[in-house]
Amino acid sequence: MNNTPDALFAKITGFVATMRENGFAVGITESEDALHVAERLGVLSHTALRDGWRGLLCARAEEWHRFDDLFDSYWRRPNRQKALETRTGGGSTVEHGGAQQSGGKAGPVLQHGPDAAGAAGDSTAKEGASAAKTLGTADFRTLTDPDQTRAIEAVIRHFARRLQRLKTRREHADKAGRRLDMRRTFRRAVGAGGATAQLHFRAPRRVRPRIILLLDVSRSMSLYSFFYLRVARALAAELTDIHVFLYHTHLTHVSDALADPDPWRAQERLAMLSAGWAGGTRIGECLAAFNRQFAARLVHARTAVIIASDGYDTGEPGVLGRELRALAGRARRILWINPLRAVPGYTPAARGMREALPHLDVFAPGHDLASLDAALTGLMAAL
Amino acid sequence: MDSAAAIAALRATLLQSGYVAERGLAVTMLMMESLGRPLLVEGDPGVGKTEIAKALARAKNTRLIRLQCYEGLDTYNALYEWNFQRQLLAIKRAEAVGPAATLPDDELFSEKYLLKRPLLEALTQAAPPVLLIDEIDRADAAFEAFLLELLSDYQLSIPELGTITATSIPFVVLTSNGTRDLSDALRRRCLYHFLDYPSFEKELAILRTRVPNIPARLAGQVVEFVQSLRRFDLKKKPGIAETLDWAASLLGLGLSALQDASAEQIADSLATLLKTREDCLAIDQPTIGRLMAAAG
Repeated sequence: MNNTPDALFAKITGFVATMRENGFAVGITESEDALHVAERLGVLSHTALRDGWRGLLCARAEEWHRFDDLFDSYWRRPNRQKALETRTGGGSTVEHGGAQQSGGKAGPVLQHGPDAAGAAGDSTAKEGASAAKTLGTADFRTLTDPDQTRAIEAVIRHFARRLQRLKTRREHADKAGRRLDMRRTFRRAVGAGGATAQLHFRAPRRVRPRIILLLDVSRSMSLYSFFYLRVARALAAELTDIHVFLYHTHLTHVSDALADPDPWRAQERLAMLSAGWAGGTRIGECLAAFNRQFAARLVHARTAVIIASDGYDTGEPGVLGRELRALAGRARRILWINPLRAVPGYTPAARGMREALPHLDVFAPGHDLASLDAALTGLMAAL
Repeated sequence: MDSAAAIAALRATLLQSGYVAERGLAVTMLMMESLGRPLLVEGDPGVGKTEIAKALARAKNTRLIRLQCYEGLDTYNALYEWNFQRQLLAIKRAEAVGPAATLPDDELFSEKYLLKRPLLEALTQAAPPVLLIDEIDRADAAFEAFLLELLSDYQLSIPELGTITATSIPFVVLTSNGTRDLSDALRRRCLYHFLDYPSFEKELAILRTRVPNIPARLAGQVVEFVQSLRRFDLKKKPGIAETLDWAASLLGLGLSALQDASAEQIADSLATLLKTREDCLAIDQPTIGRLMAAAG
């Protein structure tokens, strides 16, 4: 931009950089385009610039809603912000870059350093405290203990190999297919002077089902939590399309932490995520949170949802049943693994379990490796 | 033209073609043109995402080419396909006439035998058309990746014909309902607009624009009613399309205010607003009465 003064140029590219530090996916091209926008709309028109840059720099709804606060915090002088606040009743001093500063509905705004960039988008930070939450985090050192994981890995590998692929509506070339592939047949016929020497066929492409694991890590399940987490880690290593969630009083997405190739870093990340580990259980609320935040994106008609829990729900009655029904409507199959089911004379008397039962496709014990293997085999048969 | 004037002019043109655009959307549309980027629109069903493309086409006085995405969508249905039947016929006809040399293969693989699907169609227009790629989230990730390539270069290659470069860069509008999260790469390539449920004033303006013969009192009541209905925890919130349907059905009953209708008429006409059984049960007679009283 030859006609943009240097100071303004730096200020605008600085704005794009600030957006990047706050987790927006923007790069050099966006900086360039931001300058184009400024040139087109004129730098003096505050509202037009805001609209123009919002469309350019945001890429998803969540960023869309955060944009205005970030824009204000960058472009409005701190004293102007303060003036605004005093007028609306708040009189505290506004410190630039402080955690409290410009904490509108978008939460704290980062101005310095990319190292803290994760904080704004951290889902656990938004959840808020819950009554039955424990402060302790679990010890994850045994998670990657080779002796304990070897047997699990063997079983999971066996499972992954047998996991059948489901039909999609997309087609690919397949010798054993049923539909004639006119395009390929004709193209291959060109080499033979137009004589169709060989017919080519198409068949529906098959993909593995997506697997979603919802692991109960509340106190009543503490005996089994690590076992299931190891299973989850082994599954994540074998299959690509798998998403793991932990829940107790709230729900946490742990796929990324589990899939970390460095076992030490995986442990550290899990330890950070596991605040509330071995606390109370609110299965219904956690399922509701899952349905609201993740189900639309993750659960499709080729998804198998595996829930590991004993069904002791301390949440409101009725929520679990309702949410599970909604989930069952989206997912292909729902498998519930309950370690207590192996106990002789067990009947699903817990209220949570009774509510859940009508919506389950497979209800299996899973207290040890053999029974887990059997449960997974049952799931494969039901898929 | 001065930017403020350009924005105002675009909004006026959009209004003339029956679309009430907020200032922010108008600015983004203006940027679409000067940056040459596609526009990605997200929002709940029924807030008027698809309508943006239609209004843009009307405002620019150009063709609207629509590609509806669905799960099995592949490049043959989106780009082009050879018309095999016609090619076969041509070969047979040439054979019947004489030696095969009468039909050069250049001709056999010419545009005459090419079935243009929406994407190719959009690239080969003389005047820049509006290309609407509707519900992109329903197509799979592989298709999205392919689309990304197409949208950055605006060219595609057909092995038999060679590379086809766009004769004019189309205005591309993508819409998504969030059935699947789109890739960051595609999002980055696009301008973004999140379409929320409209404010009272905007919805009223839309209603007056789309249903011009509605009495002012009824229009205000309808919008107020729908706005407060959206505050309930419904499974499927009514969109603008539903508001318009409801207003039309009330108008069809010959009403000029909500109070003139019997409780039965209202309950029946609510079928245009409430689309699931749970929602119908949640909004019972007393609730309807309360909402009507609130709507004035």
